[in-house]
Amino acid sequence: MSGGYYSARDHVGALRLDCDVVVVGSGAGGSVVATELAASGLRVIVLEEGPRIEGPLHGQMRPSESMRHAWRDGAFTAAVPLGDTPAINVTMGRCVGGSSVLTGGVCFRVPGAVLHEWQRELGLEDYSEAGLDPYVRHVERAIHVEEVPVGMRSRSTALFVEGAERLGVPIKAIRRNTKDCNGCGRCNFGCPHGAKMSVDLSYLPRAVAHGADVWSHALVDRVVTRNGRAVGVVGRILNRPGGAPGDRLEVRARRVVVAAGAWHTPSLLRRSGVGHPRWLGRQMTLHPGFRVLARFARPVRGWQGALQSAYTDAFEHEGITLMGLFVPTGVLGATMPGVGAEHVAAASQIGHLAMFGGIIHDSGGGSVHRGPGREPVVTYRMAPGDRAKIPRVITLLAETFFAAGAEEVFIPVLGLRGLDADAFRKTDLARVPASRIECASQHPLGSARMGCSRENSVVDPDGRVWDTRELYVADGSVVPTSLGVNPQLSIMTVATRFAWRMRERALPPLD
Amino acid sequence: MSEAVRVVVPDEVKGGSGLSPGARVVALALAETLFSTEAGPPPPERLAWLGDDLDDFFAHAGGRSRGVFLLCITAINLVAPLFIGRVGSFASLPLDERHTALTRFEASPAGLAFFGAKAALCIVWYEHPTAAREVGFDGLCLKRSA
Repeated sequence: MSGGYYSARDHVGALRLDCDVVVVGSGAGGSVVATELAASGLRVIVLEEGPRIEGPLHGQMRPSESMRHAWRDGAFTAAVPLGDTPAINVTMGRCVGGSSVLTGGVCFRVPGAVLHEWQRELGLEDYSEAGLDPYVRHVERAIHVEEVPVGMRSRSTALFVEGAERLGVPIKAIRRNTKDCNGCGRCNFGCPHGAKMSVDLSYLPRAVAHGADVWSHALVDRVVTRNGRAVGVVGRILNRPGGAPGDRLEVRARRVVVAAGAWHTPSLLRRSGVGHPRWLGRQMTLHPGFRVLARFARPVRGWQGALQSAYTDAFEHEGITLMGLFVPTGVLGATMPGVGAEHVAAASQIGHLAMFGGIIHDSGGGSVHRGPGREPVVTYRMAPGDRAKIPRVITLLAETFFAAGAEEVFIPVLGLRGLDADAFRKTDLARVPASRIECASQHPLGSARMGCSRENSVVDPDGRVWDTRELYVADGSVVPTSLGVNPQLSIMTVATRFAWRMRERALPPLD
Repeated sequence: MSEAVRVVVPDEVKGGSGLSPGARVVALALAETLFSTEAGPPPPERLAWLGDDLDDFFAHAGGRSRGVFLLCITAINLVAPLFIGRVGSFASLPLDERHTALTRFEASPAGLAFFGAKAALCIVWYEHPTAAREVGFDGLCLKRSA
């Protein structure tokens, strides 16, 4: 039996479908569940709000074209800051494959210390390194996780590594889900070579081969429940001009899996009247991230080489992970200070810039609220302890680049000119107001957290929403605490566990 | 990299609205100020290309991104002139006054609005083949036909 890819855009009139399992969202969590269940013989339908962008198209798009077609809100999404918190630009995918299409491919297992915390504080006894091992190995094989060779590092990363070695900071190689990667450095705008094994390439084709149908432009408004059981979903197909909601969408299913991501899953559950309000949409973590650019006398051309290839966890005890990355020239240009000739002169040095970033292992100050339209509003109040880490992250990055011979650094403070080593050391970073700090996140997690009791969570250890039968959540929103590392592999591991447990449970008949 | 061609995503719903004529005027006045040099403002055709591509960007990226951008440029249009003691729109000021107003606006507590607008302008601007060449970007990996 073979399924297929369908565009609801082309459908006229109400769209009504029946299946065993409907999966809302086609990202790292949803695609894994859909594939595992389809492979077990179940009739699966995947609903995705965004378009389907086939692999070769990614190679033809400029970064801004990728942003306008594949990213949610053209990458203009932000968490509204509360208190002494910077505004945080949060980027997410909105296409078949979800954010996995737009990651740097970085794969970390759930850190052991985090698992211990889950066991100790949330009673997630089965979430040990040994307990997760079969699932994580299964995923790593499916997405071809491999270490980035040193030779594929960009010069930007190599310079940071030079500085780190001089300071005695150990650097480790990143593992990514790639196969035959040539290190062309633009993974997070869709791999132009099909070398990054995002779920649209590694999982969904298998789901379709096993009979799953994947619908793009299908927007789910709510889960339908009857007598305490999920029986399907309703929404709209986006077949009006500009992709506006049009005709009605109804899917009857024997089981519903919500995998709309940590930003949207809480809103969908709330609209559906399910999920414990104490935890739903609360405790979202973001891994607030900060970058430092460093100008070197010699050309760097940081876009040549793997986008992300090295990291250090030497500061994990402080709740900080430093990681290599790079961004397109246009984004670099936007971070260059000044106006007119000053800005243009600074931007002319883009080819001499190296870049490294740091993320904070945050304690969860995000909340998802009902927005004026369908989209939620997310607020984030940074804990004082996390806020105090920002100067430390910036200092670690800047001093490493100075150790590598950087002439000046551009730190993430709006409008601030480049600083040489002396000027940087005289800058009191602790006094920079949060409103002037640039901050970004790619890792929203935890807004429908998993736990052992309905008193401490939204879903149980198998992903089932407490008190609603046949309703599951399988995306980053169930990850109950900040991980301190990129979450893609962790989300897929947890989703695999959920899917395998689902396979063991008999399905009720269609309602 | 082609100067005019934009990728068409087959599975895309057509017909979204981009920038209004008024928003385009403000956005291009901002771009002219941001990207001018001692040699003068950028060529009109470069600005027109930017305007067209921004229009396409916001037509596809959706209402929320368009709203954020409009909020940013509206704040600049109304508030930036106050930094040089003028009342009126930023877009109607002469280039040298716009430069001063924008420099002061960037350094003010409202600088985040400038950063939001600047991000959208720069991301597109530096993708133009000429701008890419100027910063030494070689278009590695971009596989579009000329």
